[in-house]
Amino acid sequence: MFPVLSATLILLLVGTLLTFVAGERARWVALVTSFAFLGLAAVLLYDFSGFAVAHGIELFVYPETYTWISLPWMHIDYAVGVDGISLVLILLTAFLQLATVIYSWNESKKPGAWFGLVLLTCLGCFGVFVALDVLLFFLFWEAVLVPMFFIIGYWGGPRRRYAALKFFIYTHVASIVMLVGLLVLVFYSGSTSFDFQSLQATAGELAVTAQVFVFLALFFGFGVKFPIVPFHTWLPDAHVEAPTGGSVLLAGLLLKLGGYGLIRWAVQLLPGAIPHVQWLLYAVAFASIIWGSVVSLAQRDLKRLVAFSSINHMGIVLLAIALYSSLGLLAAVLLMFAHGIVSALLFMTAGTVHHSTGSRDISKLGGMTPRTPVLATTIMIGSLASLGLPALISFPAEFIALQATWVGIGYWVLVPLIALVVTAGFYIWMMQRMLFGPPRGLPEKVDDVPRHEGMAMGILVALTVVYGLLPFLLVNLIVSSPVVGIPFP
Amino acid sequence: MVSLVGIAPWSPEIVLVAAALLVFLLDTVGVKRSELFAGLASGAAALALLFVVADAGFAPFALVRTVDPSAVDAAPAGGLYAFSSLGLLFQAIFLLTAFFVALASASRPSDEKGSAIFHGLLLIATTGMLFVAVAADLVFLVLAIEVTSIATYLMVGYTRRDPRSLEAAMKFYIIGALSTALSFFGVSLLYGAFHSTSLVALSGALGGTTQPTLALLGFGFLLVGLGFKVTAVPFHAWAVDVYDGAPTDVSAFLAGGSKKIGVFAFFLVFIGPIAFFDARGAHCLTACGSVYNFHPTLAVSLGVLAILTMTIGNLLALMQRSMKRMLAYSSISQAGYMLIGIAVGTAPALAGATLQVFAHVFMKAGAFLLVAGFATIGIGPLIDDYRGLGARRPKASVAFALMLLSLAGIPLTVGFVSKFILFSAAVQAQGFFLVLAIAGLLNSAVSVFYYARVLKVMFMDRAEPVPAPLPGPPVAGGSEPAVLAAGGFGYGRATAIALATIAIVVFGIYPQPLIAAFQSAAEHFVLTGA
Repeated sequence: MFPVLSATLILLLVGTLLTFVAGERARWVALVTSFAFLGLAAVLLYDFSGFAVAHGIELFVYPETYTWISLPWMHIDYAVGVDGISLVLILLTAFLQLATVIYSWNESKKPGAWFGLVLLTCLGCFGVFVALDVLLFFLFWEAVLVPMFFIIGYWGGPRRRYAALKFFIYTHVASIVMLVGLLVLVFYSGSTSFDFQSLQATAGELAVTAQVFVFLALFFGFGVKFPIVPFHTWLPDAHVEAPTGGSVLLAGLLLKLGGYGLIRWAVQLLPGAIPHVQWLLYAVAFASIIWGSVVSLAQRDLKRLVAFSSINHMGIVLLAIALYSSLGLLAAVLLMFAHGIVSALLFMTAGTVHHSTGSRDISKLGGMTPRTPVLATTIMIGSLASLGLPALISFPAEFIALQATWVGIGYWVLVPLIALVVTAGFYIWMMQRMLFGPPRGLPEKVDDVPRHEGMAMGILVALTVVYGLLPFLLVNLIVSSPVVGIPFP
Repeated sequence: MVSLVGIAPWSPEIVLVAAALLVFLLDTVGVKRSELFAGLASGAAALALLFVVADAGFAPFALVRTVDPSAVDAAPAGGLYAFSSLGLLFQAIFLLTAFFVALASASRPSDEKGSAIFHGLLLIATTGMLFVAVAADLVFLVLAIEVTSIATYLMVGYTRRDPRSLEAAMKFYIIGALSTALSFFGVSLLYGAFHSTSLVALSGALGGTTQPTLALLGFGFLLVGLGFKVTAVPFHAWAVDVYDGAPTDVSAFLAGGSKKIGVFAFFLVFIGPIAFFDARGAHCLTACGSVYNFHPTLAVSLGVLAILTMTIGNLLALMQRSMKRMLAYSSISQAGYMLIGIAVGTAPALAGATLQVFAHVFMKAGAFLLVAGFATIGIGPLIDDYRGLGARRPKASVAFALMLLSLAGIPLTVGFVSKFILFSAAVQAQGFFLVLAIAGLLNSAVSVFYYARVLKVMFMDRAEPVPAPLPGPPVAGGSEPAVLAAGGFGYGRATAIALATIAIVVFGIYPQPLIAAFQSAAEHFVLTGA
């Protein structure tokens, strides 16, 4: 069988290397690589169910395993494979990589390095989604960190050094704690193999206290990426200072790594620990939901607003995961996909607002609709999608999340529900101030959306609508994943 | 009449001593050419390395084996020396360091004063290090350490003119003498407790001594004496001044090579006899708990020493402005990682610690050699002097960046592999050792910052414009420094650095053959205690 996952990794790697040395032609290399990546993702998707049936594989499709390190006490493989959950997030990666490359088409500051780092970030994310070995997973996880550090630190805003360093410190310390958890998971269960599937067989033999310890270590490691309150403060700084493309990748992909990691490496491997830590997950999720939405109300910077609403949305993802039911995990993955597309769209509009008007200050801008109709419409679509308007992508995700919460913990559903109302409130208020009313704070000549930026946003708007109308395209994939198939508690 | 067969196992040492004597002889008869001495020294080191690698069981070199294969890893009989695979690997590491340092120093000025002293003593010091790696007797061990130490005291001060080097040499000498005295005192106490200085006899009698306090005291004094050698905190203060004051090529040799004899001495004293006595060796082949179960005091003291060494070394490294001092403190913190391996004491942990020592040849010695190279092209000693170097010297800067990333333990470098094995081994040993792994991991997170700061200075900061040289008469007696080939570094140094960089990446991506060899050697060591 054709090793399609390795082929994709090699494609992205070669694309990245070529981009670094291509200089002015880097954008074309990046574009071709992105389309090829999307094509391979389509191949994965097209062949997914057929492959599983033909090869009689239940757990991971397109598996590849090669021994990397073999000692009497330690066995490490290059092992990759996908299930429905990873496939959905791979699709998201491919879409966002293409959109980011197109959006930043006219990047003039070291374009070779810029596009190279964008591709490298997506390579790392793809690797995280396909890795089925502890060390391989950790390598890709760390590999995402470095390009994003440079993206923020070199292309960012005035306080970029501070923001980049803060991002690096938070996520690196979190990775270290996560690595401790993973090593304990391997060695305390008496296993010698770092392979996911053999860990799945042995993890249950861990003592319950060890399981809880590992779960908490992993939760901290993944939670900082989420980000969970109170370890969220790196996110607004990183978003405000990052260039638009960086924000898109950060919100669209990097936050999803936390959710994916939690499902794959904590929930799926250590179901025995969940009853003991569930209260903590709920508490953190509620804190993130409430804090994210309330603090959003006070934001004047459009980017900070979207950043805090991301904390709110990812809090709902955490809540959905914490429910530990089929419905909850389905909702979590759907929400991650939806938030990936919608937050990327909103950050793009924020970037374009900044280019066109020279400001992102909501309270200083006003009446943009007549002057920049296309941009204003895009902001409206993004905001409405984010607050969960039916027929747009977030609606099915949030609906299922609320339903799962109701089924799982009853009237606690009021917490995310009220937070959703607040979210709707601040988005509508933002639109009212910025888009409608008499023009304010706009320069003499305001450009509407430039062509490349418009194309990128168009892709995301189309995805928002298509998947909003046809959510079953994703749902069918997600429920084919065994971890989602867990019985209702 | 000593038969040739009888001395064959000592071929590496003989080659080194012969080359050293040749260097001194040539110097005496008036042939004072630095590159000739460097060629002799690196050639001798390479030849000895060939023998050692063959003895270690590397099949393609089987023709030049000098040690009878059955003598390697045999249960020690109680003589002065014994050949173990782990010892041979350490010999290879020492010779590799000597080779790199000699190769790089070929690029120094041809008429440099004291060049013969440097190269001759380099070979003598390396000979002492080779003896350490075969020691099976405490007196033999301490004497072998002393051979290396005396040679290195002189190397630090070989330039004679530079007062900072002389100060460093003096400090090194005084502290070294103190550490030797403490070690010998420890050995004498152990002799009192066990009536023997042989490591085998020690292990046989360890549980049966009538003087347990005396024995523990003896081990304690040895711990302190050897602690000075490996720069364990709180016995570390000398190292920074010495590494900073010594000529940088010598610092490379000290940090990458001669310091590591302390690590192997730790293996011999604190793991060899104990493992042998404990009779859990066979069980520990596939790793179990620690071999220290019979006497947790030692494991805990070593663990505390490891945590102190890592943490204090790292915190002080964060505050340094001088490149060499930063590297010196980072060297101290790295010694802490190696101490983790000794504290854990299982075969995997020993393999990890040895791997860490091996990685140091490329990343630490390499970094010092590169700093010496940067100094020859006019880069100052402060970290800030490296501002914008990435644009001016891209190749050398990338090599330096790789070495620093490897020291920081960033994946796909050999430094990551060694730390990963080491920390995994600590987690695997469970219990108290999990704390050591966590402390080590957090420390390596901290260490990223001072390494990353150098990268930021080199690649992100802009260089200040270099002021144009003032027109005027040339300085009296001064001549233009000879323009060296290979980007100002000279071919010898450029080759050494290139080889080290390639090794960092290759072993970082494909470590399997390497760690398999280290693992099997460590298993034999834990099994036979030698």
